[in-house]
Amino acid sequence: MKSLGRTSAMVRKELRELARRPGAILSLILGPLVVMALFGAGFTGERNTFRAIVVVPAGSELPQDVEYYRQMAGRLVIIADVVPDVSTARARLGHDDIRLLVITPKDIRKHLEAGEQATLEVDWNELDPLEDMAASSAANEVGHALNTFIIKGAAAEGLRFVATAAGQPNPSLRPEVVAEPVRTAGRNLAPVQTGVVAYFGPAVFALILQHLGITLTALSLVRERTSGAMEIFRVAPIRPLELLVAKYVAYAFLSAIIGATVMVLMVRVLGVPFAGPVPDVAVVVALLTVASLGLGLFISLVADTERQAVQLAMLVLLGSVFFSGFVLPVDEFRLPVQALASLLPVTHGIALLQQLMLRGLIVDGWHVVALGVIAAVLFIASAWQIRHVMRDL
Amino acid sequence: MRHDLCSFRASVTVQPADLDLTPLVQMREATRVFGEVTAADHVSLDVSEGTILGLIGPSGSGKTTLIRMLTGTVAPSSGEVRVLGEDPRRFRRETRERIGYLPQDFLLYRDLTAAENVSFVAALFGMFWPSRRRRTREVLELVQLWDARRRLARDMSGGMRRRLALACALVHDPAVLFLDEPTAGIDPLLRQMVWEELRRLRDGGRTLLVTTQYVGEAQHCDTVALLSDGQLIALDHPDRLVRRALGGDLLEVVTKRPIDPRPVRDLRGIQRVEQRSPERLRIVAEDGSAATPLIVDTITAHGGEVATINERRPTLDEVFALLVEDHRARNGDPEPAAP
Repeated sequence: MKSLGRTSAMVRKELRELARRPGAILSLILGPLVVMALFGAGFTGERNTFRAIVVVPAGSELPQDVEYYRQMAGRLVIIADVVPDVSTARARLGHDDIRLLVITPKDIRKHLEAGEQATLEVDWNELDPLEDMAASSAANEVGHALNTFIIKGAAAEGLRFVATAAGQPNPSLRPEVVAEPVRTAGRNLAPVQTGVVAYFGPAVFALILQHLGITLTALSLVRERTSGAMEIFRVAPIRPLELLVAKYVAYAFLSAIIGATVMVLMVRVLGVPFAGPVPDVAVVVALLTVASLGLGLFISLVADTERQAVQLAMLVLLGSVFFSGFVLPVDEFRLPVQALASLLPVTHGIALLQQLMLRGLIVDGWHVVALGVIAAVLFIASAWQIRHVMRDL
Repeated sequence: MRHDLCSFRASVTVQPADLDLTPLVQMREATRVFGEVTAADHVSLDVSEGTILGLIGPSGSGKTTLIRMLTGTVAPSSGEVRVLGEDPRRFRRETRERIGYLPQDFLLYRDLTAAENVSFVAALFGMFWPSRRRRTREVLELVQLWDARRRLARDMSGGMRRRLALACALVHDPAVLFLDEPTAGIDPLLRQMVWEELRRLRDGGRTLLVTTQYVGEAQHCDTVALLSDGQLIALDHPDRLVRRALGGDLLEVVTKRPIDPRPVRDLRGIQRVEQRSPERLRIVAEDGSAATPLIVDTITAHGGEVATINERRPTLDEVFALLVEDHRARNGDPEPAAP
């Protein structure tokens, strides 16, 4: 009975302290939504196009007309100019005036007649490895478009010759069919066709939930130590486990309220889909919350100062953004990094919430087990550490 | 001869006749070492039920370490500590409920009100709602914070917070109270009231161990433990301590002309002569009344003329400074004491 009284007093104390800082609570609820709304409104999801110059050397049989090349350029490439001089064009590439430099072969017909491939040189100047990959794709697209354009022209010429020789054209044979005999018809079988906000919504929610849990708790026990309250706890008849459970209960209660509010606003205001069964989502959210609180409390117990606790919390946030699947798919990392990523609660939270909210079911059940194991291990580790902190004489 | 203060190990406690004689607090050769610093050095003392022990000493003398060893928040490196018959490191829950503790640096919860802070600590120590509410009011009235009960701790002055921390330590009416500088930052009038309450608690059978930076507050204690450099250099009733420290009565002599103090030093019953100025002597005599005419005669015989001679009771500050300086001089550390 007294134990319950002590624990509930501790829970009340934590909630009262938080309630006395309404600005902080409000920013915890509204902050993530504002960030998400800005992200959704500001992010187009479209790749940057590549402004290009085509170099057609003097004496080339290829046309000098810009429109000619604009027609054959892919959707990623915008032809800005056609020039005869390579060095001028290279200078413009060096000054970032253009992003692609397409140098056409001078004697393309001679190569073809000799049964050789002509070379289309494409240069770019990108430091960003992702932009480097995108430029490479754009270059391939230009080459593919040019090939198609040439084949289509040749096919049209050939068909005209056959029609003239046969006296009548073959209506079923068209130049574009000869140039591209197969076309792609892709379909996305996912239950919902998501926009950027909808797709990232569950991931952002999971990241917010983890960061909220860690932020709320990472400082709580450090503050008890620096305020001298831990001295009182060491003398008072409160057990370390009671103290820990009280912290869990108080912050889980608060996380649940904030989490539910953010979820409702996210679904109702930002239109993030919610396909999954509510109980399943609730279980995942509860597990993610408990695991995150455990991580925060563990940080709070191993950190000596508030500054160290904040640094550790920010380190976890940084690691989560990079490795949890929030930005880059987890399976694109090497195995040791994937293993590290699986230690973060948010990695499993993102996978599960995306599956539940967007597909309506859990595809990879092992994430639930992993999240449960992380929550349990962190609770046990925190319980061990808090005993050490309170009874370290 | 003066007392050898460094070898002082006896325990002296004021013991009401109708109480159990078993000491509630015991230390036997308790030592605590932090790295290369010995914060408590073979300290032995007993504190009986219903007494106030004042722990006094210069900054860094080991007062807080002693309190922390007694509350179980710091373990002794060697020696034995027992409170309420138990090793503080292994207090039972029931025993913990009988202990009150005011740490030196307890800053309270800034976002809680005065009443909420007190009520929270009361709940920690196992008090239920009705008694918690009643006691919260009682202790807040005691420290004159009842009118400020709804004020957040962050909006209080340093003195108010200290009073609030004291209320927190008292709220569960503990049998043994460890108070680390309970009157720090409190105005003199309120300090007096706090000491009245501490004495009232003592009269009610409570046992209190109190550290203080105000040496004058030693007069409120039944026993005073004087600490220096982690060592217990004196343990006695404040009045007896004064006399023991000086080894006799203190006489202040003022002459009309400069005098030579040597003839006075040779007199029988004179413990010490200190020349404060050419015309002023401070003399410690075994018996001040008996020594006064001898001193006057001796000074007159050597061509001097006594203007005034008075017996003076030294202040506790002077006594403690003297004891600490004496202790340090014996240990080869001439740094002046600052109790």
